[in-house]
Amino acid sequence: MKIGILSFAHHHADAYIHNLRLLPGVELLGVADVDAERGQNYAKRSGSKFFPSYADLLEAKPDGVIICSENNQHRPLVEMAAARGVHVLCEKPIATTIADGRLEVEACERAGIVFMTAFPMRFSPPLLEIKARLDAGDFGSVYCFNATNQGELPTKYRQWFADPILAGGGAIADHTVHLVDIMRWFLHDEIAQIYAQSNRIFHADEVEVETGALEMITFRNGVFASIDCSWSRPPYWPTWGGLTIEMVTERGAVIVDAFRQNLTVYSHALQRPTWSYWGSDMNQAMISEFIAAIRADRPPCVTGLDGLRAVEAVVAAYESTQTGQPVSL
Amino acid sequence: MRVGIVGVGFMGSTHAAGWAETGAELVGCVAETIEEARSLAEQCGLKIYRDVASLLNDVDVVDICTPTHLHAQMILQAAIARKHIVCEKPLTRTYAEGQQAIRACQNAGVSLLVAHVVRFFPEYALAQQSVAQGQIGKPGLIRLSRGSFRPKKPVGNWFLDEAKSGGILMDLMIHDYDYARWIAGEVESVFAKKVSTGRPDASVDYGMVILKHASGALSHVAGAWAYPPPTFRTHIEIAGDAGLIEFDSDETAPIRNLVLRTRQGEASDVGLPSSPTSESPYTTQIKEFYRALVEGASVRVTADDGLAAVQIAEAALESARTGRAVRLAGN
Repeated sequence: MKIGILSFAHHHADAYIHNLRLLPGVELLGVADVDAERGQNYAKRSGSKFFPSYADLLEAKPDGVIICSENNQHRPLVEMAAARGVHVLCEKPIATTIADGRLEVEACERAGIVFMTAFPMRFSPPLLEIKARLDAGDFGSVYCFNATNQGELPTKYRQWFADPILAGGGAIADHTVHLVDIMRWFLHDEIAQIYAQSNRIFHADEVEVETGALEMITFRNGVFASIDCSWSRPPYWPTWGGLTIEMVTERGAVIVDAFRQNLTVYSHALQRPTWSYWGSDMNQAMISEFIAAIRADRPPCVTGLDGLRAVEAVVAAYESTQTGQPVSL
Repeated sequence: MRVGIVGVGFMGSTHAAGWAETGAELVGCVAETIEEARSLAEQCGLKIYRDVASLLNDVDVVDICTPTHLHAQMILQAAIARKHIVCEKPLTRTYAEGQQAIRACQNAGVSLLVAHVVRFFPEYALAQQSVAQGQIGKPGLIRLSRGSFRPKKPVGNWFLDEAKSGGILMDLMIHDYDYARWIAGEVESVFAKKVSTGRPDASVDYGMVILKHASGALSHVAGAWAYPPPTFRTHIEIAGDAGLIEFDSDETAPIRNLVLRTRQGEASDVGLPSSPTSESPYTTQIKEFYRALVEGASVRVTADDGLAAVQIAEAALESARTGRAVRLAGN
């Protein structure tokens, strides 16, 4: 099984190389990047082959590719891979517009390939435990969620994360999708309506996009959920941010902090406490699922369509910030 | 200064304990029935009055601790009698009643002090002070939660009657609307959801409200009547453009009970926050009110603050009912 990496625009690409190498029977075919210098650097560091173009890599007949370009550059790469019958794992959000997301899903359906969205939280053991207990009926009916996916300003990893064109927006585009996906997965239901408010008070002088935002989602079955997707963690917070969900049900509430499995480390070098995560590597489980789906010729547990549903929520949230009222999907 | 208490439930007796720490003379109390008043009266040596009118004859200050829907009429009655007023939060059940109550007190030249006790809790007061000192810059996103179990009352549970208490969006969450305003200023729009809107028969309730402040800051307020007794948890997060303040009552609890058996009986009717401090925040509040009444000292919460909190709560109820965001008039 040969896998290629398309673009290092997203810093997760580096981790995925590591994940691929831990899987038996999987070979990293090579990497390609429109930014040749960046691509060559990563290729050298990881000891992988660098292809001068995406087309060249795809001509070398990988079984699958992991697409880590800027968000608005996902569609051309998904379409290129689909046209050659190459399976796709695409970074989230899969697109910056609903039209692009639909074209991606359609292209992959026509090609009959695996199209998976990189939603690693589906593989978070604390969230998997809640999902299992939900499906077993432990909690009874779900009433609402109070959820956060807060982070630091992501421009320390890549400048384009705060570029309205390349990323499709700011905090809303970045941090709405994971929670939307988790809630759809938990509820087996779709979003009916979304209300959102945003501001740019954190890092106001550094970026042009919104850095603070709150959303309130209503599902078709009446369950409602708030999402705090703000880039509100200071750069010296103990870690990059986190994802929490309080789930209120007919049997009371349960509070999940998906990134709570940490050591608190005090080091002379940093002069401040930091959190070292010892929980399971969700990316590893996600990449394994991609490979398993290709091998078994079956849909992955989280698909491109799931990615599209999350994009629809992001677009509706932005519309709501303009109108000041909830927007129906 | 002679003080009379109207309403002898949990709040009435808590305020009585606060007054006992001041130079005020606690004269008497009124309850719905004489029977109900007996326990507090005996405990504090109070005279039991038949009704508010007769109590007003003997006092300088009346402290209203009755169910919310009774506040407006009692404030008006006390103002006409030219007595100073301390009133439990919410100031009144409706915004219109609140405006009327404030006007009546202004016309009568009496003080109207609203017991938004959260401003007197040391963690909340310190966080506000830290923001005011500029420690975290301009507030951008505020998250406040307050959660407990459903209030219970042996008879006539007015807390659960939205017409009387305003339900969870008013009775419980008004604390945090007031606090959000204290931190980030006037509120422009309100969007709210609560469980009991779609599921009136649910055994738990939970509300969430998004506030947009005129400053551009956003607040997320959550309230729970959903946890097992005797849980009471609160959470504060104030993110600014130059820092962040976090508080969680669970994480800062100085005592964790791992005892095998306790002598504690059943949980009280209403969930209460209970970090041990040398002075109860309720007492701190009554002392500040006392100094204001006696010496004209300033108070950290005004009647207008109480009214603004009622306005937000009323908008939250409207938003939950209509599914629309509600813009606040006048802000």
